[in-house]
Amino acid sequence: MSDLLPLLVASPILAAVAVLALGYKFERVGWPIAALASLVQVGLAGTVAARVYGSGRTVTYELGGFRPPFGIELVVDGLSAAVAALVAVVALGVLAYARRAGPRSIAFYTQYLLLVAGLSGMSITGDMFNLYVFLEITGLAAYALVASGDSGRAAVGALKYLIIGTVGASLFLLGIGYAFVATGTLNMADLSVRLAEVGYDATLVRASFALVVAGLAVKTALFPLHTWQPEAYASAPDSVSAFISALVSTVSAYAIARVIFSVFTVDFFAAVPAARTAVLTLAGVSIIAGSALAVMQTEVKRMLAYSSVSQFGLVVAGFALANQAGVVGGTVHLVGHGLMKGGLFLAAGALAAVAGARTVDEYDGLAARAPVLSGAFAVLALAMVGVPPAVGFVGKWYIALGAFEARAWPIAVVILASTLLTLAYFARLVERMYFRRPAAGTAPAGAAVADGGSDRPAGLSVGMVAVVVVVAILAVALGSLVAEFEQLMQPTLDTLLQL
Amino acid sequence: MAVDALAAVPPFVYVLAAALAVPLVSRRVGHALGMVATLAVVAVSALAPAGAYVQVGLFGFETVLFNVDAFARLMGLIFGFIGAAAVLYSYASRADNVQTAYALSYVGTSVGAVFAGDWLTLVFFWELMAVTSTALVWHYGGRAVRAGFRYALLHGVGGSLVLAAIVWYYVDAGSFLFSAAPEGLAAGGEIAAVLAAIGIGVNVGFIGLHAWLPDTYPRPHVAASVFLCVYTTKTGVYAMYRAFPEGHLWIAYMGGAMAVFGASMALLQNDMRRLLSYHIQSQVGYMIAGVGIGTALATAGAFGHVFNHILYKSLLFMTVGVIIFRTGEENLKYVGGLARAMPITAAAFVVAALSIAGFPGFNGFVSKGMVIAAAHKKHIDALWWLLMIGGVGTFLSFIKLGYYAFFHGEYDGSVSDANRGQQVAMVTVAALCVLYGLFPDALFAILPDAADLDYVTYTFDHVAEGLALAAAGAIGFVLLKKPLGKVGRVPDVDAVYNPAVFYGTRALVRGVTDSYAAVDRGVGRLSAAAVRAAGNPEAALRRAGVEPDAPTTDGPAGPSNLSAGIGTSVLILTVVVTIAVAVLVFV
Repeated sequence: MSDLLPLLVASPILAAVAVLALGYKFERVGWPIAALASLVQVGLAGTVAARVYGSGRTVTYELGGFRPPFGIELVVDGLSAAVAALVAVVALGVLAYARRAGPRSIAFYTQYLLLVAGLSGMSITGDMFNLYVFLEITGLAAYALVASGDSGRAAVGALKYLIIGTVGASLFLLGIGYAFVATGTLNMADLSVRLAEVGYDATLVRASFALVVAGLAVKTALFPLHTWQPEAYASAPDSVSAFISALVSTVSAYAIARVIFSVFTVDFFAAVPAARTAVLTLAGVSIIAGSALAVMQTEVKRMLAYSSVSQFGLVVAGFALANQAGVVGGTVHLVGHGLMKGGLFLAAGALAAVAGARTVDEYDGLAARAPVLSGAFAVLALAMVGVPPAVGFVGKWYIALGAFEARAWPIAVVILASTLLTLAYFARLVERMYFRRPAAGTAPAGAAVADGGSDRPAGLSVGMVAVVVVVAILAVALGSLVAEFEQLMQPTLDTLLQL
Repeated sequence: MAVDALAAVPPFVYVLAAALAVPLVSRRVGHALGMVATLAVVAVSALAPAGAYVQVGLFGFETVLFNVDAFARLMGLIFGFIGAAAVLYSYASRADNVQTAYALSYVGTSVGAVFAGDWLTLVFFWELMAVTSTALVWHYGGRAVRAGFRYALLHGVGGSLVLAAIVWYYVDAGSFLFSAAPEGLAAGGEIAAVLAAIGIGVNVGFIGLHAWLPDTYPRPHVAASVFLCVYTTKTGVYAMYRAFPEGHLWIAYMGGAMAVFGASMALLQNDMRRLLSYHIQSQVGYMIAGVGIGTALATAGAFGHVFNHILYKSLLFMTVGVIIFRTGEENLKYVGGLARAMPITAAAFVVAALSIAGFPGFNGFVSKGMVIAAAHKKHIDALWWLLMIGGVGTFLSFIKLGYYAFFHGEYDGSVSDANRGQQVAMVTVAALCVLYGLFPDALFAILPDAADLDYVTYTFDHVAEGLALAAAGAIGFVLLKKPLGKVGRVPDVDAVYNPAVFYGTRALVRGVTDSYAAVDRGVGRLSAAAVRAAGNPEAALRRAGVEPDAPTTDGPAGPSNLSAGIGTSVLILTVVVTIAVAVLVFV
């Protein structure tokens, strides 16, 4: 039954081709096919996850019947199953939202399905070069999606994303090359053995780690490699912002964890403490700088983008702590942040659609005009700050616990400080939404849409609101399931941490 | 059968039960109950065979609530007997029921402490003893309250030190039982030994830690003083023996120094009960010296002195109490020539004074002589001299007290002698002082390991020594009488440490509150600034010297001069990768 694994990648690619082929003939066929493919994707990912968590074992598949380490291998363990499921679920939610909110072009649905394929592939591959291929598929689809905003700003943002993202991916490829030169293999499991044989002191191995992690850090948008990200998120259409903010950086952060634990392994950290320190430093700086920059923003989507810089710092810090609590926290926050940030972008988009509010100032008194959306936005914002019992709290809690257990005091302090900064920028919005009167002369809902641009169709569908509300409910409800999740993750953790 | 019944209940239970009952019944019945309970302690102490009884788990540890051996038996006998005498004296001195109830609770906890078979039980009663005695002092009100507070503080500190030493002992010996380590608390190591010595030193009045004694004991009701002078210090001596059964030279020297210091300070006092309080320190010094020397003779002498001292010191407080009771005067300067008006009291005082001074024929001579002889036998000459000088000082100050109170001058106004109850209490105790002085074998019969002692009380040397001390005291008094008359109130160490503690504590409290307030202000300002900055980031940026761009047509941009262009981004990326590779490869 591990035959399901290639379908996780193949099914969205086939659907993308179908949309493209049929789209020229039948304009309206894009959404139904994409929706069907997304539902299938959720079913596939759910089945695989159930199998992995049910058996407590890793599910693998040899592509084309070539035996690893020569052939390409797909591997799903507890960590990748969670990420693959997140990809499928968020994709479905964004699609439901995009039905009304758009964009509705054939190109969008094709790129959307390609992105799903790339992200799923990154989540489940067990081969380094294959990871690079999926990284590029993901990147190209994402560049194109950002550019699908019609404004000049979106084009510039996409170009910046393209150039910097490509340089990052090249560095990653360079790192893989070094590892390949050192070991002669590309399979992750095989690499972990061979790298140890070559020795962690080898210059090739160390340089490979630096290049691979730096390349992925660009894609994850850790400070100061984040420069492409705010503009890309802010200039893209709302559905696209939500989609890529929830998933692209998330899967890249997952890739960092995969590289650390499955390729270089915790032994590498033990042998080269500087590597761990470097990653922790990068993550810590990212946490603080991202939060500080978020506080300075006046545009809500840019603020959410910078918030991601900070939150991914947390996630990477959790992984780099390399202890049980840290990895559980990193995983929980990876998934939780994906949901919450996607939900926040969708809510911001919906609020823009209903009231034309795109800057912090324009959020004054929104709660009276869009109570349900405002409520969901506030819940998601507080969940992101880390108010118990939301999933945002649990993730941060585990990461902070991991920092204490690892005696990484600076990281512990940074985590606590970042919570305050997160509170600063979200509390500001919640305060404006609930406790201020709208400024005189603010355009009413209908008129506000007119000045937004052609990518923003008028009105608000039930689906849009429903998706945001469901995500808000999930963000609170998932917090209580984390303890069970840790149980299910235990076999994977034992393997990754070599307990 | 009868023995089983005796041993089934620890004797402190009787006394504490009486303490609970006393406030509920009439004065007469209440005090009778108190006497019955304390005499029951005497009976149990005399009859219960040696052994460990009532082994229970206290706070989850193995403990022995009722442990009988020669030392505990001796303490129980004298504590019970003098408790009964003091209750009778209280009744005669118009003490109210509540005070006697406090006094009985104090007696009960002391009895509990000396019959403890393990350190946990002992320290439990030790702390309770501090509480009950503080309550007894406080009950009198007035100036006794502040003194009681100082007393409680000091004993709280001392009790904590003892507790620390006991914890140390437990870690080392794995048990709280006395039987776990024959070398006592000193088994816990040097730190435990020092903690124990200082902690117990508070109770026995080590020099420097003694100021609570003359501060507290003169202040409450005269009957309360009779109780106080007996239990705390003597339980301390007992605990000192349990902690250092083999003695320690430094403790011995401290005892000798206490003997001299206490007697000298006593000599300078005019407040009668304050003078007697300093003498407690001086006399306890002999006992501590005996415990410190650590030979069988010295230990027996120390405990014999505990026994005798309780008799004559309570008798002294009773006689002085009668003077205060009848005249209302605390100070020697305002009384005099009372021997004619109160002959029985005067006679009792003379017996007690000769006993405490160690005049041959009185009980103090017996036990003090044993300690001095032990010092002599072990050739600790400096200690021997200290103890002798202390003896001279004792004679001196009691000649002074007796002379000014009973014989010198006249007392204006009519006073009557002690009432019947007081007389019974005093005469009984005085008779015992003489009895144990004339028949030392009666004392030896209850002393621990007395059978093996190589000591004869009445030898020519010993008697000559006693008479010489008396003569030296008498001559000294004649010489010092004039200068002593001019001495006012003499400050003790508490003149330094009371203000030091007071102002030190105040400075600490001020320091803590001020720094708290400073931190509070700082956090408040920081929070306000953070809220301002978060609420209006553009203004904050402007203040920080960064000009945010004006909104563009594409939408309101953020502070875009903070965001890097494509070229800069790639440069940053290159720099980061270079640093990362450099760090990983070269570090």
